[in-house]
Amino acid sequence: MTFDAYYGVQNVARKIDMLNAREYAVIMNEAAINNGKAPYFAIGEITQMGEGTNWIDEMLYDNAITQNYSLGVSGGSEKTIYSMSLGYTGQEGIVGGPDYSNYNRYSFRINSEHNLYNNIVKVGENLTFSYIKRNGISVGNQYNNTLRGAFNTSPFLPMYDDDGNFLNNSRDAGVIYQGKEWVPWYDGESNPYASMVYNNQNRNNNQKLFGNVYVQVNPIKGLTYKSILGVDFYTGEGRAFLPSYTLSMYAQRLNDEASQSLSKGLALTWDNVATYEFSVDHHDISVMGGMSAYRNKGSSMYTRNAKLVIADLRHAYIDNTLNTDFSLLDISGAPFDESKLLSYFGRVSYNYLEKYLFNATFRADGSSRFAKGNRWGYFPSVSAGWVMSSESFMSKTQNWLDFLKLRVSWGQVGNQNIGAWQYLAPIQTANVNYYFGSADFDASGNTPGAYPSRLANEDLKWETSEQFNIGFDARFLAGRLGFNFDWYKKTTKDWLIEAPILATAGADAPYINGGNVKNTGVELNVDWNDQTGNFKYFVNANVSFNSNKVTEVPTSDGIVHGLTNMLYANSPEFYHRARTGYPIGYFYGWQTDGVFQNESEILNYKNNGKVVQPNAKPGDLKYIDQNQDGVINEADKTMIGDPNPDVIFGFSAGFTFKNFDFSLAANGVAGNQICQSYRDHSNAYANYTDEILGRWHGEGTSNTIPRVTETNINYLPSDIFIKSGDFLRINNITVGYDFSRMINKSFLNQFRIYASVQNAFTFTKYNGMDPEIGYGVENGSSGIDLGYYPRPRIMLIGVNVKF
Amino acid sequence: MVFTAFLSACSSSFLDSEPITLLTDVNFYKTKKDAESAIVGCYDGLQIIYSDGIAFPVASEVFSDNTFGGTGNTDGLGYQQIDEFDLLRSPSDLNQFEPNWKNYYRAIYRVNVLLSKMDQIDWEGDTDYRNSVESQARFLRAYFYFDMVRLWEKVPLIIEPTRENIPQSEPDAIYAQIADDLLFASEYGDAGKSPGRVNRWAAKALLARVYLFYTGYYGEDDLVGKVNQNQVLQGLEDIIASGLYDLVGYDDGNGFKDLWPAASSWPNEKGDGLETSYVGKDNKETVFSIKYNITSDYDGNIDGNHWLVMLGLREQSFCPYGKGWGACTVSPKLYNAFESGDLRRNSSIIGIVEEGLNFNNAGQREYTGYSNKKYTPLSLPDGRDVAEANNAVNFMIGQYQDYVVIRYADVLLMAAELGSPNAQIYFDKVRKRAGLTSKPANHNNIMAERRFEFAFEGIRYWDLLRQGLEVAANTIAESTTVLNGGVETNKVIKKENIIKTRGFQMIPYNQITLSGGVLKQNQGWE
Repeated sequence: MTFDAYYGVQNVARKIDMLNAREYAVIMNEAAINNGKAPYFAIGEITQMGEGTNWIDEMLYDNAITQNYSLGVSGGSEKTIYSMSLGYTGQEGIVGGPDYSNYNRYSFRINSEHNLYNNIVKVGENLTFSYIKRNGISVGNQYNNTLRGAFNTSPFLPMYDDDGNFLNNSRDAGVIYQGKEWVPWYDGESNPYASMVYNNQNRNNNQKLFGNVYVQVNPIKGLTYKSILGVDFYTGEGRAFLPSYTLSMYAQRLNDEASQSLSKGLALTWDNVATYEFSVDHHDISVMGGMSAYRNKGSSMYTRNAKLVIADLRHAYIDNTLNTDFSLLDISGAPFDESKLLSYFGRVSYNYLEKYLFNATFRADGSSRFAKGNRWGYFPSVSAGWVMSSESFMSKTQNWLDFLKLRVSWGQVGNQNIGAWQYLAPIQTANVNYYFGSADFDASGNTPGAYPSRLANEDLKWETSEQFNIGFDARFLAGRLGFNFDWYKKTTKDWLIEAPILATAGADAPYINGGNVKNTGVELNVDWNDQTGNFKYFVNANVSFNSNKVTEVPTSDGIVHGLTNMLYANSPEFYHRARTGYPIGYFYGWQTDGVFQNESEILNYKNNGKVVQPNAKPGDLKYIDQNQDGVINEADKTMIGDPNPDVIFGFSAGFTFKNFDFSLAANGVAGNQICQSYRDHSNAYANYTDEILGRWHGEGTSNTIPRVTETNINYLPSDIFIKSGDFLRINNITVGYDFSRMINKSFLNQFRIYASVQNAFTFTKYNGMDPEIGYGVENGSSGIDLGYYPRPRIMLIGVNVKF
Repeated sequence: MVFTAFLSACSSSFLDSEPITLLTDVNFYKTKKDAESAIVGCYDGLQIIYSDGIAFPVASEVFSDNTFGGTGNTDGLGYQQIDEFDLLRSPSDLNQFEPNWKNYYRAIYRVNVLLSKMDQIDWEGDTDYRNSVESQARFLRAYFYFDMVRLWEKVPLIIEPTRENIPQSEPDAIYAQIADDLLFASEYGDAGKSPGRVNRWAAKALLARVYLFYTGYYGEDDLVGKVNQNQVLQGLEDIIASGLYDLVGYDDGNGFKDLWPAASSWPNEKGDGLETSYVGKDNKETVFSIKYNITSDYDGNIDGNHWLVMLGLREQSFCPYGKGWGACTVSPKLYNAFESGDLRRNSSIIGIVEEGLNFNNAGQREYTGYSNKKYTPLSLPDGRDVAEANNAVNFMIGQYQDYVVIRYADVLLMAAELGSPNAQIYFDKVRKRAGLTSKPANHNNIMAERRFEFAFEGIRYWDLLRQGLEVAANTIAESTTVLNGGVETNKVIKKENIIKTRGFQMIPYNQITLSGGVLKQNQGWE
């Protein structure tokens, strides 16, 4: 029996410092002056200001709890082996706290296997059931990101008004703050914490029954047949309460609403595999053939209505809603897109004395996601190995070289991970209405229509990943030193992507097989473990170098363009997803060469007889005129950063001494860039991080950060957003002590108590919240920091008991 | 049951699947019902083109001398950029019209696909219905292109669905296509009237408007050889002779105000609602309108008038006038130019001081003291927005006032301008409705009359441009003072900027980038 548990608290590892009220007022004044307006505040006013509201602090929750408990039993006899476990995991969110960001999972697992008829037939099952309750906030792009409001709201906006309600940032609304009627500084902002409270009152739970049942028959020696039926049954339910509120003239909901959603689905897998093993004179051969079928079906429903009898989350059910007007009612229900897979595969394995190894596999995979004629993909692979250390000519090295194996492999694997029916052009009938009546309005008087919403692509087919690998594994010095090396080349062909399409095409873009991507690299792993007396220790280090390049893009300009409106409202394109000869998702824009310090620098920056940036003012960014034609335009944009790291590395070390254990693990990357945009630059009144305090405000004051302005002329796509993303993170330090020896009971094998810090320290030059940004706005982009939910630092204590 | 499902897996048809809640282009466009659905989908295009970006009716007024950009004192300067034809006024606003550009092409795509499938549909021998559908589709396409050719002059002319990177066309080619489409609709369109539906009379009227703009701006004698002045005039006379349309408020002497909800509504006696003499949507003067409904929401329904909120008084309501974002502040020059006794002045313009409204202009940019009364949200005596009180999602997207594209008054004045023998009668009729006396129906008087008749209907700017770029630039150029957040500020619109851009708008930079440079930016906006 085992019992494992931990309990810990999470805190954000690094907070961003935004400007406080005084600093913000200084910057706003300066921006106004730089735009030819009078300053907003007199110096005397600024010194009277307090700190203002620190929105980052308000949004983040301290000491969010994370905990996990699991109890397991396993055992067996000649005929049966089994293992069961029961567990609970709970995690509160550091943004918003447990009321708005919370995850709880209860799970039960039972696995068993039984031998029948003298071990000719084996029957077994693995089954897991889990029940999950959760409540989450929005993460994602700048519009759906709960945390982003905290970066942009000015410190002037108070959290509460005098009545203790969230302050409504509207003028002439009778809002009283500090005894006076509240006049907004900026009409367009609203309390982001209140926004989170008003938009994230929900309760969701889902259940999953996941497992398989199998039978394995061994009729004659060497021949095995196994049939496995896998089941993935899932249901989910959600409820949300959307209260009516007014936080500003833009941020409001008129009517309180409640919504309910239900969904259910079942995925079935059926695998049948037959294997025959035989041996001829130390040549061991194994032949395997099989098929696998998969089908996933389900459906969901959603209803939302307005005007609740009792307006709170507890009573947020559709029966409690009173509204009967179609304009406020939303109902939908549909089946999940059906998904089916069928595969046939075969493998031949050969080894001679465990010295020479050979393996060949062939798969034919069919998917319902493609049109007839393109459904099947064929994926072979082959590998070979040579255990050199077993050779007779290596016998002299046996005292220091325990094991050396050379291996080489080549193989293909398919990917069909897109939505269903992407090869068809759907005709949309939902939300296509026109009103042909003469009443002023008529919520139920619309006439429905239809239109083709997306272009078809019948030629859509499997994406293939092809990898070639060569490497070796070695162990030295009685197994104490280990060394693994790999060189690989992985090519992804016919990459499945949705490429942005010209407006003139008139409909949504179809998925295309959009090019080839090549990743080449080297992986290296070294480990050492040794022991002197009671002191056992180990050290492990690994490093990998990777280079990423796109090799072929079938669009008319050889580029798969990136999305716009991502960095800030109405921002232009700042990355390319793919372009021949460039890495995936590379950042694209103008390169800068410092800041103009004075007028004469601007006038002297000439090319081709023209002043390159005639409208610039001292303090503006100087852009590099790559083609020297005297104009800064599209043609001068170039690659300004690469989100793909060149090196990924990690190391770990630890020791055990008697009953005491210690371990440490670290990881990091180098050579990548991150694109950071916390601030909505289309909004002159958005707050800044304290990085702006180093801005240019006179000759010689800065050559990196431009002057502040009320427009975003210095925040066009250029390397001002690009920062180095190198980091080394100590991500786990654990110390433990096993008390079982002290307690000294025969049934107790282990009673270890440990303490651990996760995400302990991060060494990096990156000034954002977390340099490990996997977030990309779409498939094919990464390294974009829009104020993503940060990784917390967790301190926990735990116990492992075995008895 | 599970195993039979899987035994069937062995056949390749296991992998067949088809969408249950979506039709596809393979099983659609087959029956008359499909055709009706598809044409309604094309009408839905009329609602999407103005739902985002800057709507054409609003933009046209901002360009003109009727109004300034306005909006909030803390907003970005995008509206000022288009008001003053000056990119540097807001140099990072490079895509203000991009949503419109994209939505125009989406709407055009729906028409193109329908037209390409006309032969595939089984009309059951009903040629009249087929002609009706084709007329409606082609009118709509002509409408979209007429907006685009006036906004951007050179746009890619797409008349068949295509994915190719098509370069821009010359304006003559676009006008030729518009003319062909409208000539077809003029001949084969419905002869009757139906609310919101295109008919042959609307096609003839729009053709006249296209003819006048093209011949005026480009200084040509006819519409790309497709139609000449006599034919266009005849079309207008046909509308007049049909007897289907007339002027509202002419017979009862009420003038003009019953055409406009805000001008014809007032608080009721009890003070809990509005009384109105509004003649209603689809009245006898409406030749063609874009219709809106209250059902817009954030889940994909685009049925409302999303641009109406731009024109309301900034954040404050004074029953019956509702609140909005305060764009298109009205120029005092326009208010003061009306002849004395012209009933249209107080039906078109809200005089904030004149009507005793206690308006706080601290949040208003380019405050002039005058605002739009023709197109504006409405409010109840208790301050609530009327659309919201009727269960619209909110006052920003839930407005439902229709955009009347062509009124019968325009048919009369265009006929007078094109030299109808009854020019003086038509001209006097329009003036009499406005409470004014007869005047000679010469070109100058007619153009002047149009200014007062069609203020804020998205017509003035194009009337100016078609009198020649010089005339437009001279009229719109301005140097005056306005109040920005209550502070007196200079407002300058330079003639050179209008001349430099030739009166056209910036092509969205994102689309130029996406086209890899095949699209070229318009002069003056580089």
